[in-house]
Amino acid sequence: MSHELTLEGIDRSATIAEAQDRLLGSQTRGGLLRRMAALGAGGALAGGVMAALPQVARAATQNDIDILNFALTLEYPAAAFFTEAERNGALSGETAVAARVIGAHERAHVRALRHALGPKAVKRGHYDFGDATEDQQKFHDAGIWFENVAVGYLKGQAPLIDSDAILVVALGLHSVEARHAAWMRRIGGDVPAPSAFDAPITRESAISQFRARGYLAIEPKTTVKKRAPTVTG
Amino acid sequence: MSRRRGDGRRGLVAAGLVALGLIGAAIGVVAALGSSGSTDAPPAAHAATKHGRHHHRKLPPLPEAPAPAFKVGKPIYLKHVGDLSRYAPVLRVVDALAEPRASASSVAPLYTTTSDGTTNIVLVIGHPHTDAHGRVWVKVRFPSLPNGLTGWVPRNALGLMVLVRTHLVIDLEHLRLTLLRNGRPIFSAPVGVGQPQWPTPRGSFYVRDKLTEYASPFYGPIAFGTSARSEVLTDWPDGGFVGIHGTNEPQLIPGRISHGCVRLRNEDILRLARLLPVGTPITIK
Amino acid sequence: MSDRVTVQVVDQEAALEEALDPVAGDSRQAFLRRAVVGGGALVAGGILVGGLPRLTASAAPSAEQDVRILNFAALLEYLQAAFFTEAEVKAGLSGETREFARVAGGHERAHVNLFERTLGNKLRKKPTFDFGDATSNPQRFRATAVLLEDLAVAAYDGQAALLTKPTLRVAAQIVSVESRHAAWARALVHKPPAPRAYDPPATRPQVTRVVKSTKFVTSA
Repeated sequence: MSHELTLEGIDRSATIAEAQDRLLGSQTRGGLLRRMAALGAGGALAGGVMAALPQVARAATQNDIDILNFALTLEYPAAAFFTEAERNGALSGETAVAARVIGAHERAHVRALRHALGPKAVKRGHYDFGDATEDQQKFHDAGIWFENVAVGYLKGQAPLIDSDAILVVALGLHSVEARHAAWMRRIGGDVPAPSAFDAPITRESAISQFRARGYLAIEPKTTVKKRAPTVTG
Repeated sequence: MSRRRGDGRRGLVAAGLVALGLIGAAIGVVAALGSSGSTDAPPAAHAATKHGRHHHRKLPPLPEAPAPAFKVGKPIYLKHVGDLSRYAPVLRVVDALAEPRASASSVAPLYTTTSDGTTNIVLVIGHPHTDAHGRVWVKVRFPSLPNGLTGWVPRNALGLMVLVRTHLVIDLEHLRLTLLRNGRPIFSAPVGVGQPQWPTPRGSFYVRDKLTEYASPFYGPIAFGTSARSEVLTDWPDGGFVGIHGTNEPQLIPGRISHGCVRLRNEDILRLARLLPVGTPITIK
Repeated sequence: MSDRVTVQVVDQEAALEEALDPVAGDSRQAFLRRAVVGGGALVAGGILVGGLPRLTASAAPSAEQDVRILNFAALLEYLQAAFFTEAEVKAGLSGETREFARVAGGHERAHVNLFERTLGNKLRKKPTFDFGDATSNPQRFRATAVLLEDLAVAAYDGQAALLTKPTLRVAAQIVSVESRHAAWARALVHKPPAPRAYDPPATRPQVTRVVKSTKFVTSA
């Protein structure tokens, strides 16, 4: 029986800067790393640890790991968005159904990517969706954006993937995101398939769009060191 | 139900332009094939039709695509949708109002930081409400005197929502603290609570912050601030908040011993601290 | 999670030792060279898992294979284009179903157009079709559309990994449109637009079997 992916308990120490680093850092090294083997953590892993890594983390090129992590970086907020919307309980009708189903899919995507990448998976960030998870109209707008950008960047990254076996997975995810996109558009009153050919988007475009949406947030600072308590005792 | 027509003509033109761009990409395919000669069909199938197209009759079978590198599992549907808690930081000073509309009366002001220097968080309860002007309001619980007040704030006064699956229950009668996760107990310990003249207040609260690495053995190694306030020690510095912390007098636990705080033996507060996230709702009964 | 790939017999410890050995002797270079996939990318850690690198030369992408794969896809594009074209005329459609037929049909015809222009005389002969009552009323039209669009998605997802990268870019721009069509058609019949978290690829025999079972293709 499937159980909810717990987004808490995952290391929440990622700051915006770290998230940006992760998003952008590997891009410039991409050309070099595509032709290099990554021996995992600088090659310092003992045989036992390597054996415990999921097969993708063990056997994928650094390029492919980067691409999967890039996908994960954007799957995290997508999953969080639909999850929060469902929990808020402010949506109704087919919109609420879509939030539930699409959320279930995005959570499955996060889990699959995290499981495949193992210790190489990027950490989840913190996301503030404002009232986009409470207001039906804003939910439509944000949901359409999430799905369209997923289709676009998966499409753009697919030809860059080294491993065919990983490419097959990327294509299967890409198709589902396109279904989500069409569904969200239809709910919002738009034509589900606006053109005969869908264009890819670059990694940079996906990142800058995500930044522009303003969803990245910093974890609230609720722990403090070296201050004596002033509670009543 | 009518659908917006979408891009219609624009879509066709766009598609045409995209297709032209695609031709460039695909020409490589055709050119490569042309230079190496047609190798796919056996000679017998080269008979040209009047359209100049070849009959591809005896093609070798296409290879099977590689198996996916990893599996994407079944959709993950949420459980516990209704009974989990959320908290959010207060991003700007704002009044919590009695009702979800701008004209409602103020219940209390909310600030962005606590006197501990931590981010001020509030517990988000119930469902959000959109008013007649399309503004989204959320209902929140915050520290107050008297205890237990709630109010409405605009959603945009709060930051990201953080989900919490834990629930802390403090039983004043049995002098016991129990931590539940997804409704199931995962930790329990005896506690010291307020003396009769400084009672620990009953009601619904939440963990507000966490303090560590201070040098004050009276409070043990770790202290949690809660939203509960003493209803008698109203002149206490920083508002007389009730905390959950360790102790330098473990022999007194369990017992009614404190100024209102909930005290645990140090080994218990250390275990609890690994399991208790800030923002956890607290029921004191 | 079961291993869906065959694992070559590689002693894990030995493979790791070789991969980490800073003194790369000839034998170790040779080992690592064996891990090289088409394109020169190395497999991290030197541990081979069959199915991650491409194993056989006949599966390697080539312009010739692209043409064969595209011709396979072209059958589906011709099929869909003809289906929508006929249904728009014959099926007595109205409302959103009619708009779906018009819009999706336009897309499929654009796909066919692209195939014709890029493959030229390498393109397969246009098949002939008999759709029977699949195009004679809205209910059958919708149900058939769901089948054909879902099939197109699975077919593309099954074949696209074998394409050369330039052609993959083209196919990728098409398959998401087919997915949109599939979601739309499913919504029209009150089925879940996205029935699974992942769209599994179909093998060519599977696709061919489904096409044959429709009996729509009277000559290929």
